[in-house]
Amino acid sequence: MSADLTNLEGHTEYDVTWPWKRPGGLRPGATAVLRVKDEAANLPWVLPPLLRATDHVLVVDNGSTDGTPDVARDTAEALGLGHRLTQATYPFAVARAGAEHLATPERSVHSLAYFYNWCFAQVGTRYSWKWDGDMVLTTEGEVSIGDLGWQVGDVQSIIRVPRHGLYVESERRAYLDLGLRNAEEWGFPVGPDFVFTKAYEWEIRTTPQPVRSIGLPHGLCVELKDLNGDEFAHWTDPESFATSYRNKRKRREWTVFQALKRGEVLPGVHEITAPDGVHVVEHVTRTWLPQAPRPLEVGLPELAPKSPAQLALEQGSRTC
Amino acid sequence: MTGAPTELSLTDPTTYPRKVLFVAGAGRSGTSTMAGLMRIMGLHVPQPEVVADETNPKGFGEPRWAVDHHDRLLKEALVQVSDSRPEAWFETGRVSTREPERIATAEWLESHFRVSPELVVKDPRLAWFLGLWRVAAVRTGATPVFATMLRQPSEVVGSKQTYYANRLGSAHLAASWLNMMLHTERGTRGSADGSGVADGGRVFVRYEDLLTDWVRTTSQVAEQLQLQHVLHADSEQIREGHRFVDPTLRRMSQTLADLGLPKQLHELTAETWEQLNQLADPGGDTPEAHQALDQLREAYVDLYEESAAISRSSVVAAEQALKRQRPAPAAPEAGPSAVDRIPHGVRAAIPPSVRRGLRKVAGRQRP
Repeated sequence: MSADLTNLEGHTEYDVTWPWKRPGGLRPGATAVLRVKDEAANLPWVLPPLLRATDHVLVVDNGSTDGTPDVARDTAEALGLGHRLTQATYPFAVARAGAEHLATPERSVHSLAYFYNWCFAQVGTRYSWKWDGDMVLTTEGEVSIGDLGWQVGDVQSIIRVPRHGLYVESERRAYLDLGLRNAEEWGFPVGPDFVFTKAYEWEIRTTPQPVRSIGLPHGLCVELKDLNGDEFAHWTDPESFATSYRNKRKRREWTVFQALKRGEVLPGVHEITAPDGVHVVEHVTRTWLPQAPRPLEVGLPELAPKSPAQLALEQGSRTC
Repeated sequence: MTGAPTELSLTDPTTYPRKVLFVAGAGRSGTSTMAGLMRIMGLHVPQPEVVADETNPKGFGEPRWAVDHHDRLLKEALVQVSDSRPEAWFETGRVSTREPERIATAEWLESHFRVSPELVVKDPRLAWFLGLWRVAAVRTGATPVFATMLRQPSEVVGSKQTYYANRLGSAHLAASWLNMMLHTERGTRGSADGSGVADGGRVFVRYEDLLTDWVRTTSQVAEQLQLQHVLHADSEQIREGHRFVDPTLRRMSQTLADLGLPKQLHELTAETWEQLNQLADPGGDTPEAHQALDQLREAYVDLYEESAAISRSSVVAAEQALKRQRPAPAAPEAGPSAVDRIPHGVRAAIPPSVRRGLRKVAGRQRP
């Protein structure tokens, strides 16, 4: 079968063939796709709920040096769900978000768009979740994603998942940022209408018109940030980001991270201490967030302004 | 919110961990008998209940609030109680993601956990909202468990035809049964292998077994789902159970062949019943059984999509009939067209090819 996307560098073994064209086509179900680099510390938190909630998890390693693939395999096997995990390797350096990405041609193996197209071309199910190696589902998030994964069937719908930064200081203490309302599109059907292309700071997934879109409630997913690590290594210099609506989350993360490093807890950030013998990530995702009073208070007014396009989208989804 | 866990005492129900049993299954499958027995054994049915009537003289065991809640949500999702569309599951799943509905469901559950730590919630519409209830259980610190009732599809369809005046036809009812049972099995599967984080287990119960030997059957259910009230039921409760169960409740005896279903639907229904039956056997809820049910679910979805694809003329004819019933607008320019009056969500749910056909019939161009 001839390739659907070839790359500028001529690495034919990394040409892209769309999975819906393969003999037999796509099977029902949902696959979570993680592009990871040095996520060995996070995967034991990230993978278990994902493996339970989806039919399949694809971990694509991109140059890890910390044993990430071994940790992924061991985590899945310890859970008895090794059969749901597939691992792959993408050996090319991928442009970092921001200026480096902007300068990279879309058909280069170094392009985020090309990389994601290659990753999602390995998916065999009809629905997919784009996932990060530091995103951990809460119990409620796990059951919600688990249900939608089979309920969506052949319906062409995007699903938005809110997430909240969890800045982990130690096994006992972390800081949960509920100051920013932020929900991104993570769930997509697999098909020719939903492929990756280039946007200003990073990649973007195409959508047909009209497309259905639904959003999950807040409090279902946290994004782990290690206060003792270099969380922003994957950024080109943050100063290189023009101040735009698109990168408000990144700017908020940078602000919260730097404040916590100074010992300052900003408004909207909750300090959480786990009970004895319970890791704070487990405490937050299994107990604190699932049982927090609803509606969850998320979003500081000063961080609330929405883009015109987002307002239009919300208007549309209310009637959808 | 739950307090600090206390040690379980067999004689003190206030120490029982919070648990909610959801009784699922098609209507007329013995769900009322199961819920009624669970109530007699000590599980709390949230009050007030739907009152008994001639279709169910022993009572329904259905909380009024849950029935009304489900009715409203089904209307919002444009889904019928007996709905054969596979995509109906996405529509009810979609309304289940709404925060106000999650809050209302969890608050209601919380208020009844203040009465008893072990609840039973049953309604034939429940299967459409299993995810919503699971979330409510998570938010109230409770463990959800699921019992799905199984009854011969020929008897379910026959019973529905009798009690609901046969308005829908046997093929539609059989297809709805398939859609409900195949997806209910999928929706409770996390509980089968312990892979679900918020599931305390699931059981499949044959209505026939419940009527033949309810003592043995409920004992197995209680053991598997760790229902403390049932495990520690006293002799007076057991006597009451015997007074409650009426083996003559099973009034239908027709076979699948009696329904005269289209061949493919007949075969799928028969195979699905056979597979579901295996789940009710001890040790029958296995990955192999799930795989077989996955294939049957896929075959049903394919059958439905094929049938929908070749029956567009019926959709167009129904649309035309509806248009004819409506009074003609005073002037076409004065207001939105009939199509525009259909909510966007409904229009979006119609496949593009069908929309194109409808536009053509209505003589409209795409805006």
